[in-house]
Parts: sequence; C-alpha cells; structure tokens
Amino acid sequence: MARLSIEHVSKVFSDRPGEVQVVLNDVSFDIEDGEFVCLLGPSGCGKTTLLTMMGGFQEPTEGQICLDGEPISGPSPERGYVFQNYALFPWMTVEKNVAYGLKFQDLPEAEKKARVDAAIEMAHLTEHRKKFPIQLSGGMQQRCAVARALVGRPKVLLLDEPLGAVDFQMRELMQNELERMVQEAGITVVMVTHDVSESVFFSDRVIVFGRKEGEIVGNVTIDLPRTRDRSSEEYEHYVSHLTNLLRDAFKGASIK
Amino acid sequence: MENRDRTIRVPVNGDKKKARKMFLMNVAVMGGLCVAWFFAARAIGKPLVLPDFIETMKEFLTAWTNKRTMRNMGLTLKRVLTGSFYGLVIGSVLGLIMGYSEKAMSLLSPFINSLRQIPIMAWVPLSIIWFGLGEGPTIFMIFMAAVFPLIINTIAGVTDIDRNYFNAARSMGADTVSIFRDIVLPGAMPGFLTGLRLAVGSGWMSVICAEFIATSSGFGYLMIEAQERMQTAKLYALMIMSAVVGYGMDQLIRFIERRVTSWRFKDGKA
Ligand SMILES: Nc1ncnc2c1ncn2[C@@H]1O[C@H](COP(=O)(O)OP(=O)(O)O)[C@@H](O)[C@H]1O
Ligand SMILES: [Mg+2]
Repeated sequence: MARLSIEHVSKVFSDRPGEVQVVLNDVSFDIEDGEFVCLLGPSGCGKTTLLTMMGGFQEPTEGQICLDGEPISGPSPERGYVFQNYALFPWMTVEKNVAYGLKFQDLPEAEKKARVDAAIEMAHLTEHRKKFPIQLSGGMQQRCAVARALVGRPKVLLLDEPLGAVDFQMRELMQNELERMVQEAGITVVMVTHDVSESVFFSDRVIVFGRKEGEIVGNVTIDLPRTRDRSSEEYEHYVSHLTNLLRDAFKGASIK
Repeated sequence: MENRDRTIRVPVNGDKKKARKMFLMNVAVMGGLCVAWFFAARAIGKPLVLPDFIETMKEFLTAWTNKRTMRNMGLTLKRVLTGSFYGLVIGSVLGLIMGYSEKAMSLLSPFINSLRQIPIMAWVPLSIIWFGLGEGPTIFMIFMAAVFPLIINTIAGVTDIDRNYFNAARSMGADTVSIFRDIVLPGAMPGFLTGLRLAVGSGWMSVICAEFIATSSGFGYLMIEAQERMQTAKLYALMIMSAVVGYGMDQLIRFIERRVTSWRFKDGKA
C-alpha cells in the first residue's frame, strides 16, 4: 500500500458568489514509503493548494487523500509541514520553536528534551538555540523550521517551496543542508517547487503539473546516486527533459 | 551564512550616531523656541497673554516641589491609571474576542464603531448624571478615551497574526486553548501594546478636560484655577508640566513594549 495516496482530488474555490475557480480537477497519484517526491509546476497551478490538503489545512472538494490507507481529515503531527515563509513563531526562541513540535506528544520530559537537543544539533543550531527567529539568517530559519517539523517524527514531511525566498547564491548551500537533514531522517517527503534544478537535486520522482486544473503532464523518476552532482551530464539531461515538459505544457500540447 | 549577525551591528552604530545628531538638533530647536519666546514676550508686553519666559520657567521649576501641585498631579495620575486599567481589562478582552471570532466581530463592531464616534466630552453631562460630581465621571471619561484604542489595536493585533502560525500549531497537535495561549496572546501583544500607548495618551489628554468640569481637584482643576486668578505664567507652567508627564508616560510604555516584545527586535534587548 502506498504511504500517501491522492485519489481523484478536485478543489474548487467559490469565494465570490457566481464565480467558481477550478484549481484541481480529478488529480490522482501515489507516493511510496521513503520516497522523495517533488511537485513541479508553474506558479499558480495549484501545488500549494494540493500540499495544504495533504497537511489537512483544507479539504478536497471531491476525492480524498489517504495516509497509510486512512483518509486525512485535519492537521496532525503525523504530517510535518514546513511553510513557504517557515512560519516560525517569532516570540519563541529556536529551542522553544523546535520543542513545540513535541509539546503535545505523550512522552516523558527527558525523552522530549533529548529529542529536541538532537533536532537542534542536526540543524546545526546548537549555539543559536536561545535566539529568536528575527535574529537568524534565512538559512538558519529554514533549518529551524525543518527541525521543528521533524522532531515529532512524522510519517511524511511536507515542504512548500522551502527555498523559494532564498537568493541564488545561497540556494545551493541550503539545498545541501536540507538534503543532509532529510536523508538523515530517512523520511517520506513531498516538496513543492517551481525550480527544475531543485527538483532534480532532491527527488526520487518528479510529478510535473501543467498550467490548468492540476493536470499532470509528467511523472519522471530521477535515477541518480545521492548526493547529486549538479554539473554531471545526467543531471543536466534530467533538467532539460523536465524543462521541455514544462515548456510543452505552457504551449498547451500536453504529453501523457 | 552565519556572519549575518555581525553585519547587524553596523547600522546599530550608525543609528546611535544619527540618534545623537537628532538629539542635538532637538535641543537646538528647543533652545531657539525659548529664545523666541523670551523676546516675543518682551516685545508684546502683555504678560496676561504671553508671560515672561523667565518667570514661567521659575513657576515651572518650583511647581515640581510644590506640595499642592504635586498632590493634585498625583490625584490626576491615579485617575488616569484607574480609568486606563478598566479600559485595559475591557478593551483587551473585547479586542481578543472580536479579533478571534468573526461572529463576535460582526455582532459587536457596528455597536463599538458607533459608540466611538461620540466625542469624549459629550459623555460629560450623562456621566455626571450617572455618577455625580467627583471621581466617577472623571474615571469614566478616561475609560471611554482609553477603551476604543485598546479594542481596535488588539483586534488588529489578532488579525495580523500570520494564518500559517495557526496551521503550524495545529499540525503539531495544539488544541484551541493552547493556540489561544501560545499563538493568539503573544501574537496580539504588539498590537495590544500600541493600543495601550494610545489609550494612556488619550486618557491623559481627556482627564484634564474632565477635571475642568466634573471635579474640584486634580491637575486640570489647578489649570482652571490659574486661569481664573489670571496667573498666566502658572498656567503655562502647568501646561508644560502636563506635556512632560504625558511624554514620560509614553516613554515608559515604550520601554515596557520593548521589554515585553523583545523578540521583535534584532538585538533582542530592551
Ligand atoms: N483560498 C483560496 N481562495 C481562492 N482561490 C485560491 C485560494 N487558494 C488558492 N487559490 C487560487 O488557486 C490557484 C492555485 O494557487 P496555489 O495552490 O497557491 O498555486 P501554486 O502554489 O502552484 O503557485 C491560484 O490561482 C490561487 O489564486
Ligand atoms: Mg505556492
């Protein structure tokens, strides 16, 4: 059984009366245990909407999303979520932010403390643990957000463009850090991105969305050893293949 | 990546220099105004309208050691604190409820929005009928002046909280009570403190007016008295005093603001 299964999911917004917007229409795919899957697509195509439904923050209009066969009906610590802007609580220190990920779990205090320490260590934030988010660089904030999402040992990690706001020079560095943290945790990951190279760097599989209604225009397995060499020929090959898929989708000539 | 922290200190130093320059400018402007006053008073020669600068300064300085003045000042401050305290309790509770629940918002906001259109001074006659002359109407008026800025800014404080903070907390298993305690309260704190500043400020401004009318003690009463006795220099001195005290209270609340929400500042200190 798939770890996460997206089953005929549709999402329609009708905020304003008489106006309906079909963002996703009958989307289905599976994600296996331990897989790292990127949802790649142009911005506005519904990636965040789909991911928030996996997070349980909103519900599909039709269809369902199942985790280990159980339909998702709301947010839960089973699914760690890293928001596009990280959503670290600004009034809590690094330490308190990470500890919040365990606060509502039924564990002995000593165990909680050990896990928080380990997560902070993994995020290389030990010497910054008493700082507030505003005092951290973008990279540290991102690692803190990932540590907070992982500390509760969720079954899947959901990442919404975790590097979307990062400038180009920092990006590769932060990609390496994120890769390290995720591989160390050995967890199923779904990550949203619109950056082709980023999807090749991280993914076991890239699901490519077109422009309209969450239409899937490609489902590409990336068969490269980790940590991936961005300058290798195969890497380049995947990048151009995915770029072409996206370009064709833009032209409207979808490839099934 | 890490050396970002170090770069923060540069603008801080720059800010300090700027602040000192700003301070010197302020002093210069102030000095200029005093000099202008000094000569203008001599030129006009009507001490009832514009009293002699030196005499006013004498009044101003001696007022701080004058028992009667200080006793009335204390009375007024106590009224402001009492009225603001009621405003704080009711304003923050209403603000939190209205910010948190859309139902409460649509239920209460027309009521609150029309009440706050009534000028503060228009409450004077009614509050005298309700409470009689003395403390009652004065404190009520301060309350009315303080409560609306608190409600409005606390609402803004709650609604300004990033929706994703709620989602994040829920995805970590937080229940409603925890979300209220861990997200809503600290998240609304900056807005609430802004409201508190405005509330105490407008409370201070309206207390003096209230004391003109509704009572025979307090700082505002001393002003009316000085006016009636044609002690214009004293009146000026009292007005400057009320500005100084108001400014001092504002600075105090700003200090508290920095302390309580130090997480909003990069240097993390008050
Ligand atoms: N709550 C909402 N109400 C109305 N429309 C929405 C809402 N959330 C998203 N949308 C619309 O859905 C579309 C997809 O948005 P989103 O999922 O954020 O795209 P992506 O993450 O791929 O850039 C956009 O056109 C957006 O305007
Ligand atoms: Mg998005």
